[in-house]
Amino acid sequence: MHAVALLVAGFGALGGSAAQAQGSGVGDKDYVWNEMRGEKLQALMAKGDAARGEIAFEVCAGCHKSGAVGRPDGTYPRLAGQHASVLIKQMVDIRAGRRKNPKMLPFASQHVLSPQDIADIAVYLEGLPVPAENGRGPGTALEAGRKLYVEDCQSCHGAAGEGDGARFYPRLSGQHYAYLLREGLAIREGERGNANPKMMKIIRPYSDADLKAALDYASRLSVDGR
Amino acid sequence: MNPAIPLIRRRPTEHAPLGGLLLAFSLALAPGLARAEAQQLAATVCAACHGPDGNSVAPTFPKLAGQFPAYLERQLADFKSGKRKSDIMTPIAASLGPEDMKGLATYFSAMKTSPGKVEDKDLAAAGEKLYTEGNPDSAVPACVSCHKEKGSGDKRYPRLAGQNQAYLIQQLMDLKSGVRTNDKMKLMQPVAGRLTEQEMKAAAEYLAGQ
Repeated sequence: MHAVALLVAGFGALGGSAAQAQGSGVGDKDYVWNEMRGEKLQALMAKGDAARGEIAFEVCAGCHKSGAVGRPDGTYPRLAGQHASVLIKQMVDIRAGRRKNPKMLPFASQHVLSPQDIADIAVYLEGLPVPAENGRGPGTALEAGRKLYVEDCQSCHGAAGEGDGARFYPRLSGQHYAYLLREGLAIREGERGNANPKMMKIIRPYSDADLKAALDYASRLSVDGR
Repeated sequence: MNPAIPLIRRRPTEHAPLGGLLLAFSLALAPGLARAEAQQLAATVCAACHGPDGNSVAPTFPKLAGQFPAYLERQLADFKSGKRKSDIMTPIAASLGPEDMKGLATYFSAMKTSPGKVEDKDLAAAGEKLYTEGNPDSAVPACVSCHKEKGSGDKRYPRLAGQNQAYLIQQLMDLKSGVRTNDKMKLMQPVAGRLTEQEMKAAAEYLAGQ
């Protein structure tokens, strides 16, 4: 399928400033978090082939594990079942330097993956089953977490944490808590260079305890029916 | 001392250019003859270091037996072009044409890898853990993902099972230091760059026993 068809239907950030640099990110004046241009647009428009993606993912599985289940300790996120558009955004942003990820960069660079490869991998991963078991938080503040989630997170990430592929909003259900917390902290601190500024603003007043509670709740959302 | 050098000088010159053409014909038309030619070429050019059956005795020389033919062919081509550097292999590969390379690669790939020798079982066990799980603390991917179960490799990534420890360690060191740069898609340089010397030794010890 074409990931972009959904995106164009549901949204429309095609284009953007012509002067915009590939690498501009959070903090740069011309940063558009959901822009679709350059090789990101190429990958979004490409028709992904899951069979080819499975072969290309062979290298990635060295860290993200077979089936892209990730590691419960959060060192590597779960990618299985994530929206193709989200995966494309992350892969392209990492290799453009918007999202700093020196661990992954050499395996996702232009000499390794073409935009077509990125589309193939994204479609393969989106179609993988999401195992019910994942790394979860301490479970000590779930009611507080639920309230924060419903109030601040749900309108974008969905009541079931299902995200929204048409808007680059990631699925949270099934994701490992330790990874959600690491990235949540990075987004709050402005250290995730390709974050959504709207989300940064929403969680800026969050204490560590607030963030932990909301993400613990999110990590326990059911992956049934995905 | 490198016994391959005097041997290569004695090598008949009939292969190029007419001989190369004939060899190409023989490869295309008569596999048996091609194998005999490849065997003769292997005996003349390769056997002194890599063994007549592709199982080298000296631990610094790689075993070629059972390796995937596309990998062997590419290495020979890279030695010739200079993409892979070796004082020993560059002049040898320079004397080989594409048909010779294909013939030798096919010949050695059909041989059986001799079992390697594990000297240190604890080290091999540590190597198996690294091979199958990687090292998340230093972002070393699990080797098994590309090189497959027990180092068997596939048509995309080379076989490592049974390989000599000393050769494997040297390659990892060379990939880390930037001496070897012909790795596919430059994927192994960052991996080797994240390995400690102890991890290299452990992985090699495990793989030798596979």
